[in-house]
Amino acid sequence: MKTLSIDLVAGIVLLAAALVLPLTGMDYLVGIAFNLAMWVALTQSWSILSAMTGYVSLGHVVFCGIGAYMVALTTGSLPLAASLGFAGLAAGVSALVIGLPVLRVRGPYFVILTFGLAELVKNVIVQIETGLGQFSRLIFDAPPLNSLYLVMLGLAVAVTVAAVFVRHSKLGRGLIAIRENEEAAEAIGVPVIRLKLIAFVAAAIIPGIVGGVMLLRTSYFEAAQAFDPVISFSIVTMAIVGGSGSARGPILGAFAFVLLSELLWARFPQLYMIILGILLILFILFVPRGLSGLLDRKEARQ
Amino acid sequence: MRLLTKLKSLVAAAAVVAASVAQAEEPVRIGYSMSLTGLFAQAAPSQVNAFELWKDKVNAAGGLDVAGTKRPVEFVTYDDQSNPANAVRIYEKLIAEDKVDLLAAPWSTPIHLALAPILSRHKFPMVGNTAASVQLREIAPGYIWFPTAVIPDRVGEELAAFMKSKDIKSAAILSNVLPLSQEIKSFLVPALEKHGISISVNENYPPDIKDMTTLLTQVNETAPDAVIVLSYPADSFLFAAQAKELGIKAPFVLSLIGATFGSYQQALGESVNNMVTVGHWSPNQADWPKAKPFFEAYKAKYNEAPDALDSVLAYMSLEILEQAVAKAGLDKEKIREAVSTMTFDTINGPVKFEGVQNSVTPTSFLQIQDGSLELVWPDSVKTKDFRPKTGW
Repeated sequence: MKTLSIDLVAGIVLLAAALVLPLTGMDYLVGIAFNLAMWVALTQSWSILSAMTGYVSLGHVVFCGIGAYMVALTTGSLPLAASLGFAGLAAGVSALVIGLPVLRVRGPYFVILTFGLAELVKNVIVQIETGLGQFSRLIFDAPPLNSLYLVMLGLAVAVTVAAVFVRHSKLGRGLIAIRENEEAAEAIGVPVIRLKLIAFVAAAIIPGIVGGVMLLRTSYFEAAQAFDPVISFSIVTMAIVGGSGSARGPILGAFAFVLLSELLWARFPQLYMIILGILLILFILFVPRGLSGLLDRKEARQ
Repeated sequence: MRLLTKLKSLVAAAAVVAASVAQAEEPVRIGYSMSLTGLFAQAAPSQVNAFELWKDKVNAAGGLDVAGTKRPVEFVTYDDQSNPANAVRIYEKLIAEDKVDLLAAPWSTPIHLALAPILSRHKFPMVGNTAASVQLREIAPGYIWFPTAVIPDRVGEELAAFMKSKDIKSAAILSNVLPLSQEIKSFLVPALEKHGISISVNENYPPDIKDMTTLLTQVNETAPDAVIVLSYPADSFLFAAQAKELGIKAPFVLSLIGATFGSYQQALGESVNNMVTVGHWSPNQADWPKAKPFFEAYKAKYNEAPDALDSVLAYMSLEILEQAVAKAGLDKEKIREAVSTMTFDTINGPVKFEGVQNSVTPTSFLQIQDGSLELVWPDSVKTKDFRPKTGW
């Protein structure tokens, strides 16, 4: 209970700081904060399915890409809010369709299948765009950075609240049971397939909207970039660095990753990927439960 | 401990020297981001080399002429990892945090397009270079300009006219699925039909293609007069190597991007003699007195020929900026005014912008002729006559 209240206070302070930031008028800082919120939203949504059930998805970007594509298609003809809602809806529906077959395999097969599916959807959209004679799409009159930032912040907060809620709900306990022993869970009456599917769909909606907002930020859609697998890899990296034992893990992971890469790429453009790689290896070897695990230990000692 | 004191005094001395240099003339800082890693990394050197060559030349001549005062030039650069979203952040950083005096352009169409809104918002002018898409015209004119003459609709029409003039009756088209290739194809196909040139093969292939044997066999079966390969660098190399193995016989063979690289002829040698490609610059065009010296200087510094597309466009973009700053100084609005209205004297001849586009440089085609890149179309700029490809 004590940890929860510390987290709550820290969360409120953080949110207040995040809300004040646009008033400073420093575009560069708002840009960084936008990225932070984006990665928090993506990693948090990923952990609803993957950290809780142990089904590690390497294709989370597919929902961002689908959301981005929906916004690219509908922007201009629909109001922006509707466009973003549509992006979330499309991502959720795709998760439903993809989830039914995909969630029947486990372990490395699930990892490979999610990765492969993301690539498949990317190539299908490349083909559709080619067929339509559209090679890339420009978005005009995208809202200014400050508005996009507030939307992204809202998404990050929403998905964090949802993650906390899921962890303390019956659904969450069911998901953890699946992670610990799926057969045993099924035997005692946990509706494993339904729960996994609910988690998969819930984990897809937010990234769909995030993808749409990301698109508005760069104002340029090209399938290969919208479905960039590096986004999926980064999500998993942040989850590892942050630790996935609690809802604060993805937040810590996103902070560590974004701030570190912000510090590194400006100073060591050539070395920065190498340094990040070494840090990741060190984390897996020595801090397997991530930053959040470190904090837990410290609190336990006190 | 003693080492530390020594080090300290060294640092202090260096600081004094640096300060005195700075006092003499404050450098003009030019920021840009480049795709040093990621998908486009292999294209970065041709552009960075040209930027560095320009900087050397300007600094050797006493510095950049800023409305009458000469000031040395230095670059502030970052790696965008070939990712437009990173480039957007980097240019915001360059403008808002690093407070650079001027901006140079990144590599690739997507990144140019992604930057256009940032430049308008900060009212910061930037002369573009390596971007080619009909979409460029959709950008509201203002703070970005494109010196390229490789705009897909013009390329499609000019290529068809060029082929018609060489009596081509049939053509096979192989195209990468990436945007520039597809855009050109969408304009080329109707233009060929208009000129009565039949299309015997029309196939797309993925960007990471490793084997073109099946496609080339298909081409050989229809024996077309022309083989048009709308390729990106990696597949340009692949195509040339496999076309030789399979003995493509067409007298007119075009490869889209990559054939202008210095390494293309180094790797493929004689076999790519008489290959046609897209480009609007040749060192041998005597009407452009700056062309040959640029070629020589580049070759002397980097020991390879400049890329007739990217190196040239990169260099031109800084020449344009240089001439605008000489007149307007560093005031952003005055630079914008100057770039929009002046006529510039570049290594590619005169350049003048109408809206976002270069309205002077014609859409042209190059041919590799005995180790040299020659302009073969249109007649107004050509340096040599087109020669049919007779073998590999």
